[in-house]
Parts: sequence; C-alpha cells; structure tokens
Amino acid sequence: MSETRTGRLVLDNVCKFFTQRGGQAEVRAVDGVSLDIQEGEFLTLLGPSGCGKTTTLRLISGFEMPTSGMIRLDDNDISFRPPNKRDMAMVFQSYALFPHMTVFNNVAYGLRVHHVSRAETHERVENALDLMSLTGLAGRRPNELSGGQQQRVALARALVVEPRVLLFDEPLSNLDAKLRVQMRSEIHKLQRRLNITSVYVTHDQVEAMSLSDRIVVMNQGRVEQIGSPVEIYRRPVSRFVADFIGRANFLEATVLSVEGERVTVRLLGQTATANVNFKPQVGDTVIAVLRPEALVLRADATLEQCMVDQAMYLGSAVEYIVSLGDQRLVIMETDPREENVFAEGSTAGISLIPDSVHLLAE
Amino acid sequence: MRRLTRIRQIAEFWRIFQDPVLFIGLVLVVIFIAVAVLAPIYKMVEESRTEKGQELFDRYLTSPVYQTIIENTMRMGLITAALGTALGFLLAYVQVKVAVPFKRFMHIMALVPIISPPFAVATAVLLLFGRNGMITRGWFGVRYDIYGLDGLSLVITLSYFTVAYLNLKGMMLALDPALDEAATNLGASKWHIFRTITVPMLIPGIAGSFLLIFVEAVADLGNPLVMGGNYEVLATRIYVSIVGLYNTTAAAVLSVILLVPTLVVFMIQRYWVSRASVVSITGKPSGTPQQITHPLVRWPLFALAMSVCLLIVLIYGVIIAGSLVKVINVNNEFTLDHFDFVINGYGAAAMEDTTKLAAIATPIAGILGMLIAFLVARKKFLGRSALDFATMLGIAVPGTIIGIGYLLVFNRPNVIDLPLLGNVTLIPKLTGGRAIGGGSIAIIMVYVIRSVPAALRTGVAALSQLDPAIEEASVSLGAGNVGTFWRVTLPLIRPAFFSGLVYAFARSMTTISAIIFLTTPRTRIMTQQILNEVENGRYGNAFAYCVILILIVLTAIVILSAAVGTSSGAERTVEGGA
Repeated sequence: MSETRTGRLVLDNVCKFFTQRGGQAEVRAVDGVSLDIQEGEFLTLLGPSGCGKTTTLRLISGFEMPTSGMIRLDDNDISFRPPNKRDMAMVFQSYALFPHMTVFNNVAYGLRVHHVSRAETHERVENALDLMSLTGLAGRRPNELSGGQQQRVALARALVVEPRVLLFDEPLSNLDAKLRVQMRSEIHKLQRRLNITSVYVTHDQVEAMSLSDRIVVMNQGRVEQIGSPVEIYRRPVSRFVADFIGRANFLEATVLSVEGERVTVRLLGQTATANVNFKPQVGDTVIAVLRPEALVLRADATLEQCMVDQAMYLGSAVEYIVSLGDQRLVIMETDPREENVFAEGSTAGISLIPDSVHLLAE
Repeated sequence: MRRLTRIRQIAEFWRIFQDPVLFIGLVLVVIFIAVAVLAPIYKMVEESRTEKGQELFDRYLTSPVYQTIIENTMRMGLITAALGTALGFLLAYVQVKVAVPFKRFMHIMALVPIISPPFAVATAVLLLFGRNGMITRGWFGVRYDIYGLDGLSLVITLSYFTVAYLNLKGMMLALDPALDEAATNLGASKWHIFRTITVPMLIPGIAGSFLLIFVEAVADLGNPLVMGGNYEVLATRIYVSIVGLYNTTAAAVLSVILLVPTLVVFMIQRYWVSRASVVSITGKPSGTPQQITHPLVRWPLFALAMSVCLLIVLIYGVIIAGSLVKVINVNNEFTLDHFDFVINGYGAAAMEDTTKLAAIATPIAGILGMLIAFLVARKKFLGRSALDFATMLGIAVPGTIIGIGYLLVFNRPNVIDLPLLGNVTLIPKLTGGRAIGGGSIAIIMVYVIRSVPAALRTGVAALSQLDPAIEEASVSLGAGNVGTFWRVTLPLIRPAFFSGLVYAFARSMTTISAIIFLTTPRTRIMTQQILNEVENGRYGNAFAYCVILILIVLTAIVILSAAVGTSSGAERTVEGGA
C-alpha cells in the first residue's frame, strides 16, 4: 500500500439535537463536543449505549448534519459537505458489504466511483486483499465468507481508497470472542503501520484501551474525559468514568494533609497519598477510587477485617467479593498461590497497595 | 446565534435538494400524483357538492331503495372480506405450517386469480352452479338460483383472496421459528401455540388483509354486473348512472357515498400495517419452522385447502373449455370459431390496443413505484408520508370513482388565464375519442396510478429489509445518490422491481371499473369487449378473450423475467453481513 494521506480532524463545540416525532421534546444526542484529532492518531469514542458516540461518528462521516458547531478537516469546514465528498471511509458494524458483488468488486467499488484506471484498480485491490490475507477469495460472494473474512473485506474496501480519515462503527461487535481479540490486534498493527487518522466507536472498554492513542469517554451527549488509556484508567475525572472503565471500589476517605497537589488521606485504617486536581481542606471527606488490584487480602489481625463472601479462582487471578460493614468490595489478586486463597465465609485483613489510590472531590 | 442556527437549518434542508437529479425526480413525482390521482378525486367530490348534488344527497340518504343498496354494499363487503381472509389464512397456514403434499400446486392455484380477467370467474361459476349449472343441475338436478349475495360473495372471495394469502404467508414465513420452539420448550401444545402465538402475531396481517379485501370488494364492478341479479350495490348503481342515464352528478354523489367507508377502512388498514412493523421480525430465521404432522389436523386442513384449489382448477377449466366448444353445456362440439372471432375479427384491435397501452404503463409504473419507495423509505423531506398516502389513494379509491374523476377533469382542456400570456393550456383534453391519442393517454395514466401502489409497497418492504448501512457504505466510498441508487439499491431490490412490473401488467390488462368510462372507439380495451360479450350471452367469445388475455399476461411474465430477472445474486440475503 502506498504512502497514506492522513488528516487532522477538529470538532468545535458540535451539537446534534433531534426533535422527537410529534412532540416538542428535543433529544440532545450530541451536546457540545470538541475534539482535536491529530494526524495519524487513533482516537476512540467510548461510552454506554445512547451516550452519543455513534451520532458523533455519523456527524464526522456526514450522514448526520450538526445542529450547531463546526467540523474541520485540515482547516476546511466540512460540517455540511455531503458524505461522499469527505475523503473518509467507514467500516460498519454490520460490515455493509454489497451482497450482489464479489469480494473483488466490493473492494474495487470506491476506486471505480473515483474513476481510477482499470490497471491501477486491479493492482490496488490485489494489494489490499494481500494486506488483509484475503488472497484467493476475490471471486467469492460475501455470503460465502466467514464473519472474520467479511470483516477483513470491509476493512480492505475502506483502506483501498486511501482515505484521509478511517471511521469504525463498532466493527468487532459481531464477531465471537476469540476472533474479536485476533482482529483487534490486526487493526492495531495495521493502523500503526499505515499511520492513518482513525476514529473508532465502541462500548467495549478493553477494545478501546488496547487500540487507542486517546480515548474519549462520553456520557449523555457530552465528553466526560479525554485522555490516554493509562490516564483514563488510573486517573478518571469522575465516578462515571471510573465505573465505566474497568471496575472500581468507591470508599470515603478523610483528608489528613494537603501539600499543593499532594493529598494524604486516611481510609481502611491506613494512610494513602495521591495527586489531585481539586483543592480539598484538611478534614474534608473525599472519594477514593480503588481498582480491584489496588487491594489485597492478608491473614493479619492488625488490619481492618472483612468477610469473604465469594472467592472465584480464575487461574491467573483470584477474584474476591468481600463485605466491609454494609459495603461490598471487589478485590483482584494476581498470581495467587493455592495455599493463600481465602475460603468463602472466612475473615481476612484488607490492605492497600501503595500509590494506587485515586481521589475524587465527591 | 439564533440566526446562525436558522441558517444551518436551511442549509440542512437544502442539502436534500443538492442532488439535482433527485430533486427533479421528486418534483416530477409530486406533479404526476397531484394531476393523475388527487385532481380527479377532488373534482369528483366537488361535483357532488353542487346544489344539484346536495339535493341528490338528501334524496339518496333518505330513500329506502338507496338505503338498501348501501346496506347491500356493506354486507357484501364484510362477508367477502371475512371469507377471503379466512381462505387466504387457510392456504397460507397449510403452505407454511402443515406437512402436506402438493404444496407447489396449491401455491400456484392460490396465485392464479391475480390474472383473472373480470367476469371470467363470475361467468364460469354461473355455468357451474347457476340455474342450469353443470354441477347443480347436471349432477344434483337442482335449479339453484345463484344470483345475489351468495353467488356474489363466492366469486368475489375467489377473485380477491390472493391478497390475504400472500400477505399472511409472508408474515408466517417471517415469524421467528424460535418463538414456536420456545413455546414448545415451555410445554405448550401446537393448538396452544396457534392460539397464543401464531394468531396474535398475525393480527396486523389478518386485519390488513380483511380491510384490503373489503375495499376491493365494495369497489368491484365486474362481478356484481354478472352475478348481482336483484342484489344491487353502489358500484353497479354508479355504472348505470353514467352509462344508462348519463347523469354525472348522480354518479359523483353515489361515488362519494361509496368513497367515505372505503377511505375510512383504508386509513384503518394503514394503521394496522404500521403496527405490523412493530411485530416483525428478526432478519434471519433461526431455523426452519416446525411443521404440523398430526393426522387429525393435517388431513382435514389438506382436504379443505385442496378442495378450494380444485374449485379454482374447475373454474379455469370451464373458461378454457368454454372457449373451445360451440355453446358450453348446450352444444359441446369442438370449435375454434371463438378464437377466430377474437384473433381475426373484432377482437384483434382490442388485443393490440390493450397490450400496447399496458406495455407502456408497465415500466412507468414499475420505475415510478421504486422511485417513490426510495424517496419515502430513504430520504427525509417535508410531506413524505403525504406523498405515500396520495400514491396509495390510486388503489384505495374505487375504480369507478377514478374513472368519473377523469371524465370530469380531462374531458376538456385545462386552461389557466395568465396575465401576459393569455390563456395557456396546462393539460390538453385527454379523454374521449377526439383527444390526443384517441383518449389513450388517460387510460395509460389510470393503468399507472392503479399499479404504482403495489410497486410502492413491495419496494418499501424490500428497502426496509435492506440495511441502510449498505447504501451508506457506497456513499462513504464516494458514490452520489444517483450512483448509489443504480449500482447498489436497485440491483438489491430487483425482485421487488420485477414483481412490481408483473403486477402492473396483470392489473392493467385485467382492469375494468376504472377505465370503463374512458374507452373510446379508438381505444378498444379487451375487458370492455369481454363485458359486451357477456352481456350479450356470447360466453364462448368472452372465454376466448379471457384465455388470450391470460396467455398475453403469462407471455409478458416470461419476457419480464428474462429482461429483469427474479434472482439477483443477493437472493434474499440483503443484510450486510452473513
């Protein structure tokens, strides 16, 4: 595949309101989203269903028009440009292969639309099929392919036109678990290699974490947080983000001291320190976000004691559900030794892993 | 800020019309529907509201004679709608859910009435079961008076049950077999499943079929003319007012009386059909439907369905036999005189004219149907459902009413007085022998508007099964609206396009009520000729016309399937995925 052109995509306070049929009620599907997507960046829109991620993608692709705000590609306003003039290609959730055309004709479709010469079309389609390990399937119809192969054809069809921006609408959600992992890693490799600006929509946080340069967590039409996978996981800005990305325990903690951004708190009978971006006062109650792997169980009577309600051995880890007073916590201990696994119904001491506490204002 | 939003709204609206081809297409469609469907109906209603019309209204609505006629019409409509729906349900259920032999045969027999020329079924039934019927008198020796409600209900049911059959069969096939399996799994018997799952899921289809047959039945003219006897209905009264009494106002008033219940029923039907989309229907059936094999269910249903099919065979057998003997049941000597009369005599011109006009109307109706379906199902614009509704009026409004409306609107040039240009002819005179093309343009228009609704519905149904992402994929790869329509949409809805064309041709060839007032000496129409022969008791000639008409339609189907093809590569896999 030749040098790929790639673009910088900017969304400036974009809104999309739908008026509900018959009623006056307005649904704010996308409510003031601003993004600056760099050339070659892989950006994922992540959120629960109905959060506006798909609508945002459709606004970028041109299948919906923004109610207000502006979308720019390489400094050109494309907010109202028809979708076929945007130089983007989309990979659909249902793949949307043309069922009446062979694999070859599916992949060649975009080139023919753009009147690319016959010889060049042939060469580029062959290259794209090679790239996606589809050699030999050119003459097949989509319904003669497996799900994974259909997915590859959909990708090849989008890549072959060398779009400035590649759009993905939950492309892996129709695949079974194993194939999904495999395709995920292929998309990852491919995107890094071609360095093509990509916007990816998913509700699967593992997919988002593994693929993205940056993740946009959306909720109710708004951007909740933008950041690298590490930032999003380790330093979520809100309870919603912490809860949506991975699993989290929320515990109240009391502020002991504040030194600039460094805050020391007391929780679970221990002290912990974390950087915060808000200004708590000594004595305030804040919320500590504890990932399951930030806690461990110890047979130590000096620690705060909890009751083991459930213990599930997962091979590489053991997962506990414990109760601490009226609160239930999830604890994930990696690489457990058989003799160290606590039995259901036993009591255990609960301990914090240092430097793994994140604090939220409320 | 507010103004900016306003400008953007206009921009968004304008984008729909950015594609000039699409925009022009939409404008032309709207103009055609306004002129060919709405104007005649409007004019007819207007005519009934003149002073003279109001007077007639009062008289008709208080006169016992007319009250009886209205009652007759409604009773006949309700009975045939119930019978036709039941018959369609029976044949569809046997076809889909019961393990019986001869399914293919029964399927074809259920489809045959689509190409029944008017009068053919009625006349054949008369010869079989009438006073001198081959079966009633010949076998049982009874002189059965079949004229009236009983005979009429029988022939109208047999003429129109196919609508219910196709409708219900489609829905039964689309029901997810997993539902049956889930119910069986929970311990339900077949009868319990039938009562609690199959029938409730099909209620929109049952209601829709009932109402469609009702509309067809009360509008039917051919059958009541032959079979009605003293049982008079509105459609025949309207016909007599025009043909016998030359009283257009009376016809218009009666038409409005007929139009009101028809439109009410049509709107209820639209409501039910819109409900149907809620009930349906997962894209991929998860298995093959389990079939009923219990002998006590299977064989009685088989016997019932089979006897209906054999009755249809008998009726069409009589039509063919009647065309080949001197006077059927009186002098059964073989003869080709009737065919000679039709092919070499007076019928030749009618054959040619009818086929030509139908052949012109067919592609127009097919393409128009797909285009409107595409606009309605895929594009957002103001008045989208109004366009759908107005198009559907072409079939919802009884044919006699359409015919009178055409006489009222197009029997003279439509002229407007413009300030600078003086009188400008908007639409020239279209009906009557001295109009352009001997009145053939009006007939073609009627053929088109009577056929487009069916094409529209099959088109919309096909599009609603087609994942919009497939078209979006084409657009995102750089193709425009028109390119996408030709390269992707039309190939994928080709089966719907094909059935739209077949229906249009069959409907045009067999239609009578809408064009009976529009034929002229220069446009001879076969159905009109059949009526003449039947009225003069020359059944042999009438049957020969019917046989030839059926052969023409069958030939057209063969030609169309060669030209358009029923099997696109996509077959039924219109979902983007597997």
